[in-house]
Amino acid sequence: MTLDSATADRWTSIVLFAVGLAMLVGGYTMDRLEIRQIHPASIPGLVPMILGLAMMLCAALLFVSARAAHTASKAHLANAASPSTATQHSDKTEPNSRRTTSNRDLFFAASYSVVYALALVGSLPFAQATAIYIAVFYTHFTWQSASTTTDHLKRVAFGIGFGIIGAYAIASLFQYGFLVRLP
Amino acid sequence: MDGLLALGQAFQQMATSQMLFHVMWATLLGIFVGSLPGLTATMGVALLTTLTYTLDRDAAITVLICMYVGAIYGGSRSAILLNIPGTPASAATALDGYPLAQSGRAGYAMALATAGSAIGTLVGILLLVMLAPPLAEAALNFGSFEFFWLAVFGIVISGQLTGGISPLKGYIAGLIGLMVAMIGSEGIHAHIRFNFDMPELNGGIGLIPAMVGAFGFAEVLTVMWRAKAKVVNATGERDRILPKLVDLWRYKFTIARSGVIGTLVGIIPGVGEDIGAWASYAAARRSSKERDEFGKGSYEGLTAAETGNSAVVPGALIPALTLAVPGSAPAAVLIAALFIHGVRPGPMIMIEQPDFIYSVAVMLIFATIAIAVFGLFLTRVFVLVLKVPREILMPLVFTLCVIGPYALTQRTFEIWVMVVFGLVGFVLRQMNYPMAPLVLGIILGALLDKSLRRGLTLSDGDLTPFFTRPISAVFVVIIVISIAIGIPAVRNAISRTLDRLLKREAERSADG
Repeated sequence: MTLDSATADRWTSIVLFAVGLAMLVGGYTMDRLEIRQIHPASIPGLVPMILGLAMMLCAALLFVSARAAHTASKAHLANAASPSTATQHSDKTEPNSRRTTSNRDLFFAASYSVVYALALVGSLPFAQATAIYIAVFYTHFTWQSASTTTDHLKRVAFGIGFGIIGAYAIASLFQYGFLVRLP
Repeated sequence: MDGLLALGQAFQQMATSQMLFHVMWATLLGIFVGSLPGLTATMGVALLTTLTYTLDRDAAITVLICMYVGAIYGGSRSAILLNIPGTPASAATALDGYPLAQSGRAGYAMALATAGSAIGTLVGILLLVMLAPPLAEAALNFGSFEFFWLAVFGIVISGQLTGGISPLKGYIAGLIGLMVAMIGSEGIHAHIRFNFDMPELNGGIGLIPAMVGAFGFAEVLTVMWRAKAKVVNATGERDRILPKLVDLWRYKFTIARSGVIGTLVGIIPGVGEDIGAWASYAAARRSSKERDEFGKGSYEGLTAAETGNSAVVPGALIPALTLAVPGSAPAAVLIAALFIHGVRPGPMIMIEQPDFIYSVAVMLIFATIAIAVFGLFLTRVFVLVLKVPREILMPLVFTLCVIGPYALTQRTFEIWVMVVFGLVGFVLRQMNYPMAPLVLGIILGALLDKSLRRGLTLSDGDLTPFFTRPISAVFVVIIVISIAIGIPAVRNAISRTLDRLLKREAERSADG
């Protein structure tokens, strides 16, 4: 399942419907501030209720359109099952190895960046955490393009140097330039 | 005449060596940001906002506007040389720019893009100075009923125009933005909503951390996911880096039309530069004598797209300044920056700070001159910029995404907000949900909420004034038509009826 597929849209519509329902219930059960004798039309939960209903409606429409698209694509695939069209189709597809590498890159970039932002920053001084982040990020993504041990060592050395210079430059800019108390 | 005088005074006040220094570095940085695929104008403006806290009002806004203008222009570089738009605004530029580069005319394509961008921005500035003051005056007549519909109009139009073939996803993105805006203390009774017992949420979700996440972190992930692009050979024997005046004169009507279209698209809330470029490109193609050349390396197509997207910048500032409703995503960040620097955008701006609109016009003129100078004389430097490896750039960008929002309030909670919006923004983008309506929803949520409840209180719960007051009625009609056009069955019925009418007309004229 890819993120821009009809199946993904169907699952999303269910999540969005639940979010809309939660918003509707949240708005309905919200304090109506009767004790403060406010006008009943100005209760804080009014707009959340409307937004919840609108989201539920949009989610239902998304589900219907995604189901129609799913049925249409199934019929299209059945038509395209003949050998000639199947060959054409496979020619246009991105090679599996490239896709796997891309997904691995994405997973690393996302998880490592989240770990840096939410765990490293705060538990280590900002400059040190950032130096580690930049150095590892650079080294990881250039590692595969190096073929010899010397190349690998060069990448690591550059990564460490770049990490330290980049981290201390940014930290100094914010600490001394903008007088920010760094995390 | 008064406007010209005010413009002259603003020019005199702003033309200091310190301001010109800010113009130069910020525009250069903007072009750099825009030309790198993955770094967008919104991200540049959002990150730079966190670096301008210590500057005075005029210097800070000048820096942000120069970044905005520079980044929109800079997007043309990678569109021409890599066939990857540096910003979404340059997608139409790539259609003709890349074929020109492939045929060894990259330098001339960039020269035309520079001229088109500069002229487009100037057309937009002219319309900004002409339209903003009367619009602000007209907006003084807006009450709660009108402001409610203005907010709904912004979300619906933005969702409609940025959602592509599926406006539904645009509407959903807008609703998500509005829901996010419901978090925290509401504006009438100061009641705290949806804080989930987390005191950090009492003040709501900050726009800057959310934008830095949705446009910064999400872009970092997108860039690291994508395959690397190759820079095309920049110049050929017949190439030149200065635009021929004869070419600009030949396309004078295209340039003027694209400038006006771009500015008008900019005025529409939350639509943005990419739509401005596509609308100008489509209009130029329809009326061109050389329409067969479009998409194969047409000078006219390239000029139209670049003029159109750059004209959106001043256009987007018109509603941002006069109604506090952004015309584009970077303009939304600019609104947040204006508040940070003590400017209150909205209908009162012409009463509280009447000179400010003219100061903004002068800032835009400075930025335009800067992109023209840098664009024409630093062509080869920008080609080198495109060769900066993503492994070097992206960790630095993400570090700024972390420390920038933190610097705003010095709370680590802002980093959490940035990360959540980054991850959610990335997933939504891959699922073809546009980001502009989401941003607009966050900005307009408070206005929509307060205006609806205030209006209902004024009318004692009666909904009639929402539909019967003249300006409200106009908004209602436009909104209903927009939504109806987005429904495929209605759209098909309209096109069938039009076809039938045209056929009948043709038969009648043939009989006659």
